[in-house]
Amino acid sequence: MGSILPVFRRSIRESWRSVLGWTIGIAAVLSLYLPLYPSLGGSDQLQGLIDAMPKQLVETLGYDQIASGAGYTESTFYGLMGFLLLTITAVLWGSALAAAEEGGRAELDLAHGIGRSQYALETALSVLVRLLWLGAFAGLVIWAMNGPAELELEPVRIIGASAALTGLAFLTAAAALLAGAATGRRAWATGIGAGIAVLGYILHALAKQSSDLEWLNAVSPYSWVFGQSPLAEGVDLGGLALTWGVGLVLAAASALALRGRDLRG
Amino acid sequence: MTDTIEVSALHKRYGHNVALHELDLRVRPGTVFGLIGPNGAGKTTTLRTLLDIIRPSSGTVRVLGEDPRRGGPALRRRIGYVPGELHLEGRASGHRLLAFYAEVSGSTGSSGPVLGTARDLADRLGVDLNRPVRTLSKGNKQKVGLIQAFMHRPELLILDEPTSGLDPLMQREFLAMVREARDAGQTVLLSSHVLSEIQQTADEVAVLAAGRIVADGDVASLRLGSVRRIRVRIGGADAAAAHAAFERIPGIAGVDASSAADASGGVQVAATIEGAIDPFVKALAQYEVQDLTVEEPDLEESVLRLYGNPSPASATAPTSAPTRRPRRSRGRDGREGDRG
Repeated sequence: MGSILPVFRRSIRESWRSVLGWTIGIAAVLSLYLPLYPSLGGSDQLQGLIDAMPKQLVETLGYDQIASGAGYTESTFYGLMGFLLLTITAVLWGSALAAAEEGGRAELDLAHGIGRSQYALETALSVLVRLLWLGAFAGLVIWAMNGPAELELEPVRIIGASAALTGLAFLTAAAALLAGAATGRRAWATGIGAGIAVLGYILHALAKQSSDLEWLNAVSPYSWVFGQSPLAEGVDLGGLALTWGVGLVLAAASALALRGRDLRG
Repeated sequence: MTDTIEVSALHKRYGHNVALHELDLRVRPGTVFGLIGPNGAGKTTTLRTLLDIIRPSSGTVRVLGEDPRRGGPALRRRIGYVPGELHLEGRASGHRLLAFYAEVSGSTGSSGPVLGTARDLADRLGVDLNRPVRTLSKGNKQKVGLIQAFMHRPELLILDEPTSGLDPLMQREFLAMVREARDAGQTVLLSSHVLSEIQQTADEVAVLAAGRIVADGDVASLRLGSVRRIRVRIGGADAAAAHAAFERIPGIAGVDASSAADASGGVQVAATIEGAIDPFVKALAQYEVQDLTVEEPDLEESVLRLYGNPSPASATAPTSAPTRRPRRSRGRDGREGDRG
């Protein structure tokens, strides 16, 4: 009463170090990969190397498009390192509810003037805001390096790609939150979150291998946002909406799940 | 006037495990109510139910006139709670932690007065609120736990084993805090497995064993404290004569008399006494008493001794306990079938 979003604010206050760390990590990855594009991406040597690699591997890694700035940025960052970093943070942060319950903090918090739904939703909001920051920060760095690294990206598509990456990470985090809210076990939260992210990636890779498997794209969140190249062709708005929508539904469901059961002691 | 806590026929099941059997509990406003019982008796389960941390399988619970399930955050702001297992983690300082709870549970408006109270309590208990809570010792964490429950002066305090980890001096300070709370009109429900703690504060007591209340009433009328273990060293007597003399004292059992190990010529006597202590004291008066210890046995021992192993059949066994619970006679949706 009288205070706005106390759980959210506490969560942000307590996690700024972690956010700073991941921000630095993303900056490091981007400044490692992107400046190499002019000497790597467009070179005949690299193209020769890629031609020599198995076609399936090249497609899985997205290297078939690596000769363009958009393909390069996607296959090095959005589809790979950025996906990896944001997925890890999403799983870690998404396990917060379960961690609070296992650690005994949730019992004390929820014995105070905090509602269960409020607790889950403010936790989800905190994860969302932090992921949005990481996604926006990555987009900003890419935009800033666009000229110097000769990537020739359209700025608006950088926004689309970052929204895609962030949405995918949020879906992962929300799945972890829901698993944590439903079970109170960190192992489940981490497992479900990571499982969904990895499964989405694998299904996407498999779907590329043959037209018989293309239907797998329909169940892979990774395909929803990266099936159509967000940097080269513009983000698939339907897939983007679906990803964000599922993420928000899972987050809302975590509030219901936490409300409906006994806390573990 | 309605009771601060009204629990009737509270039943809690975990799978096939029944944690609470048809529990009835009433706590009158402005009193200190003690819930005692051995570990695993269901004390924590009962207290958690009052805060909607866990939900009853059946039965009704009213706290401050409301169902905890419906009362939500607004109801819990009127309650201060110390969990049985307090875990304080994180980098945040004691101040930060208390400021957060003051913000969510303090009355509307500024949390300034609440934090003022928190600082006073911290001075009183001697805990440094500037340190990160995770670096505090167990006793100091417990103090922070007490402060967060007391600081907003809630109408009801629910304290689960509140003195665990506190040294004796702090336990005394805590008991003073409880009495002050009662004097200020607050209601206190505290659980403990230490009998003396309850005896020193509680107006009323319920004894919980294996998920059932096996006895309740005012503290004095419970016979729990009536079993005492005594050790005495007397001079000017020989062991055999002392043994014979002590054996005659009413209520005494397990008399063991032996000559003291040192050269003082005294006799060591150990025994347990059930019931009045007076005959023992009178009998003792004729000797030169060199040393005397009278201690209460631990609570678990007392409960088991007086109330037996509280299976459904034997739960009503004790002979002269205070207000024995009548077997419930009200029809209750055929839930009698749950028993056994």
